[in-house]
Amino acid sequence: MTTRPLAQEAVASRRRWRISLSERHLPFILLLPSVIIMLLVIGFPMLYSLYLSLTSYTLTTAQNYDFIGLKNYATLLFDDPLFWASFGRTVLFITLAVNIEFLLGLGIAHLIARAIRGQSVARTLIMMPMMFAPILVGFQFKWFFNAQVGLVNNILYAITGEPHFIPWLIDKPLGFISILIAEIWMSTPFMVVILEAGILSLPQEPFEAAEVDGASGWQKFRHLTLPMLLPFIYTAMAIRSLDIARAYDVVQIMTGGGPANRTELIWTYVNRLAFTGQQFAVGAAMSYITVIFSWIFTWWFFYNVIKSRWAGGQS
Amino acid sequence: MSEKKKKVSRREFLKLSGIAGGAAALAACAPAAPQAPAEQPAEQPAEQPTQAPAVVGKPFAGKTLRMHAISGANYDELYKLIPAWEEKTGAKVEFVFKGNGFETDKRLVQDFAAGTVDYDVCWDHSSFFSQYVKAGGLEPLDNYFSEEELADFIPSLLDATRKDGHLWVIPRHFDISCLHYRTDIGIEKPPETWDEFKQMAIDITKNNPGIFGTQFAGKEEALTGRWYEIQTAEGGELFNEKWEPIFNGPAAVKAATMLAELYQAGAMPPDMTNYLWEDVATQWVNGIIGMYTEWYGWYSFFQDPNSSKVAGKFDLARQPKGDAGIHSGWAGHHGFSITKASKEKEMAADLIKWLTSPDGNRLEAKLGFLVSRQSVWDEIIAEAEGSDDPLAKKRLELALLQAREDFKTPPLIAEWIPMSNIVYPILQQIMLGDKEPQAGLDEAVEKTYELMKEAGYYG
Amino acid sequence: MSVATRTKSFSRSRRRGRILNEIFLWFVLFIFFIPVLWIILTSVRIRSEINAFPPVWIPSGFSFDSYKILFGMPTPEGAFGLGGSIPVGDYARNSIVISLVSTLFALVLGTAAGFVFARFKFRYKNGTFLAMMLFRAIPGIALSLPLFILYARLGLSDTVPGMILIYVALNIPFTAWLMDGFFRAIPEELEDAARIDGCSHWGAFVRVDLPLALPGAAAAGIFAFLTSWNEFALASIITRTPASRTFPPALFEFTGQFVSDWRGMTAMSVLMLIPAVIFVAIVQRQLMEGLTSGATKG
Repeated sequence: MTTRPLAQEAVASRRRWRISLSERHLPFILLLPSVIIMLLVIGFPMLYSLYLSLTSYTLTTAQNYDFIGLKNYATLLFDDPLFWASFGRTVLFITLAVNIEFLLGLGIAHLIARAIRGQSVARTLIMMPMMFAPILVGFQFKWFFNAQVGLVNNILYAITGEPHFIPWLIDKPLGFISILIAEIWMSTPFMVVILEAGILSLPQEPFEAAEVDGASGWQKFRHLTLPMLLPFIYTAMAIRSLDIARAYDVVQIMTGGGPANRTELIWTYVNRLAFTGQQFAVGAAMSYITVIFSWIFTWWFFYNVIKSRWAGGQS
Repeated sequence: MSEKKKKVSRREFLKLSGIAGGAAALAACAPAAPQAPAEQPAEQPAEQPTQAPAVVGKPFAGKTLRMHAISGANYDELYKLIPAWEEKTGAKVEFVFKGNGFETDKRLVQDFAAGTVDYDVCWDHSSFFSQYVKAGGLEPLDNYFSEEELADFIPSLLDATRKDGHLWVIPRHFDISCLHYRTDIGIEKPPETWDEFKQMAIDITKNNPGIFGTQFAGKEEALTGRWYEIQTAEGGELFNEKWEPIFNGPAAVKAATMLAELYQAGAMPPDMTNYLWEDVATQWVNGIIGMYTEWYGWYSFFQDPNSSKVAGKFDLARQPKGDAGIHSGWAGHHGFSITKASKEKEMAADLIKWLTSPDGNRLEAKLGFLVSRQSVWDEIIAEAEGSDDPLAKKRLELALLQAREDFKTPPLIAEWIPMSNIVYPILQQIMLGDKEPQAGLDEAVEKTYELMKEAGYYG
Repeated sequence: MSVATRTKSFSRSRRRGRILNEIFLWFVLFIFFIPVLWIILTSVRIRSEINAFPPVWIPSGFSFDSYKILFGMPTPEGAFGLGGSIPVGDYARNSIVISLVSTLFALVLGTAAGFVFARFKFRYKNGTFLAMMLFRAIPGIALSLPLFILYARLGLSDTVPGMILIYVALNIPFTAWLMDGFFRAIPEELEDAARIDGCSHWGAFVRVDLPLALPGAAAAGIFAFLTSWNEFALASIITRTPASRTFPPALFEFTGQFVSDWRGMTAMSVLMLIPAVIFVAIVQRQLMEGLTSGATKG
């Protein structure tokens, strides 16, 4: 793995960085443009919607609304079973998606890493789903799972010789499974890429030693590959968990959260409430509640990253 | 650090928005100064409508009219009349946005909310205009259109967009639900009542393997609207005179129960709850539906053998009656409105007159639209006499009859879409058997009451 | 490290396992590839066979009309369900310009930020880093309306620079985080050596760190490019006309309230995939090289 200087040396070299005045300002000069752009494009709109979430703003009363404090938050948290149902479903969705994507990703990454030839072709092919716009994925899988003319039912028809009209997007577990499949198809490649990078960067020596000791494939995987891959696994799963809001486009187009709220995730609910339902303030409050939860997760994750990276220790 | 940055961007924001001159949304951001000083362009032009014709020949020479318009299907054909108007007036038309109806509506709601309207004419719809009126986005049209100019339009269309004592939309074309039924699968006569309709749908399914008796669009406003028209026929009302929701009575429950029974009996496609307009039409042209209520606007698509397996194999009928003896037809119309923010309202009105003229109507009638002027109807019915399509004339006469007698829009309130947003998931729950009809509608009424209360209807 | 040497070290007795591995790999790839094939196939099918029931498995013929319509060539059917002509050239130009320029800026700024986080010590560094990452966790739909209002005031709505700005902001955090890892993976002795040779810190950065981090930048670039290329929620709100509209909202235009042109949509999707595939195929080797150099390690 990578070599790092001894701790004292690092401190010494960093101390040298701080000598001249201009260099003391260098970090701020380098960071400033990023900070300005992010505050403008993300920070300001977030503050604005935070303010709106404390009012009675709706899309048709934009010129005339009142400050109502935390009422929207209270209504959602204590008086809206649909919010909690969507929230719970979103957590379940993320958990299932991320774990299945991880297992699939690990498997495929292994297959590619062990392939004799055609690795770049395989890698480009497996990355195809990453090149699909999420809305396109949504349209596509909506069509695949169509009960009348969808590819899945058509294949069943071809195999069994009898027409099947399985309502994939409607029935209770099926709807959720269908959106899960679309999400997994779209995002597994990301896992593959990160995990393959991990596999390729594994050192050879321990494996050769294990081979000499006559370790089985599973033993090598369990005691060598997995522990050494952990940092990559950690990273890939955390990034995916944060990115999962991308699934909004897919789900919105496939089912719109329906029918009967059976596939409602937080973000389809926000859209239905804030835009279709015009209650932007309530939608903003819901976004905030959700964002705060994901911030706690992000904070926890990156806090650990900072600890492991910046403590100078090996991961 | 973030405190300091916030101030900077706020200051920049205030400065720039001052330049932009849009005071309305600034008020939203800085509640301390609601009525900002920027000029309100709304009132002035309305009072001096006589100035425009000063220039002989080309009254709007050198001016630009900006338009926010619907696009797709055959909607764009009408815009081919615009070059001639530009020639006549010397103005130039610029499209700031084109998109389908839902997208156009979404943009308009956002623009009116954000105060970012930079166009003069917008597409409008009878189901949507109440939102724009409430948001303060539209200009009343009474001052721009005289009684004589309006006399030719079908009165029910104009009535559908009168609100708060003003007219807001000039109709372009309309549509209304009409029963479509297959003539090649043993339907001898169309159902007269919704009870008959239900029984027939179940029978058709039984007797014709591979065909579903009926279907409805199964989500969003489409589902709420379909349920609404059935419950209206059964004698139900959505609201009482105090705008309190009352749609949990026997009529509404009966309509919801019918949808649930049809679905659970397998008389409708199992994934119907994911259908919108396009999907129901696709099922119909694939020949797997026995009968259903549909818009007239699809007619040429349905009769085209290249796109449709049911071309020449279906007939049309007036909507079934309910227990109240009402044939209710859910109806709506497309039209044009002038934005309050427009600085060229006279010019905007002139373009609208041009597009909704008899010429505009004739052009749209050729594409199969049900147009808005009575005089043009007489012409096209006369023309249809000579058509080789036996249904052509019947279709037009039926549509005109329905427009005059059955025309029923959803309630003209800005809360119609938000209300539908509450109702349709519950209707889906009822259909899928997750909820009992009465319990579901009670819940919907309760939530709608909250919505209306928040919107300030009860004082 | 290299795959080739590693492959050789496996014994011959494993050959059968290898072949199984190969078969299984291509089978899985095929499964993953079905949607891609399907899109390509749909885009050239005869319209009446697309949503047909019972399904038509073997096309009775092919039609390139959708592509002809996209390129403004006359077709017997004309554009179906869409008014007028489709300014696909404008969409392509906007998408390419916006994605490439925003990727470039995000890389420059993100690299600078990553360098700062990796090499400098200052107060509130952890806080700044965390704040940046928190920004990443905010989904587009939560930003859309306030951003729309802000952009309208600033005159940025429906402009290419406005869209570039958005994607730069969205891509900086992840880029900074990746680059921070890459810089950390570069031994500091190299830099110190350069300093002893008389380089300024800036010089050391340019001559030592930057060249070594380039494969990492390629990896970060792929992610940034694909994010911008595929983003829909904000693009659909900020862009209105062909002046700035990108592919994803343009794809959405193929769905109407009443009619949708699925074939047209798939045809445009194929056009939209081509540049992305080219870009990824070119950069994927650097991607692997970059990622293996340690950036993603915790």
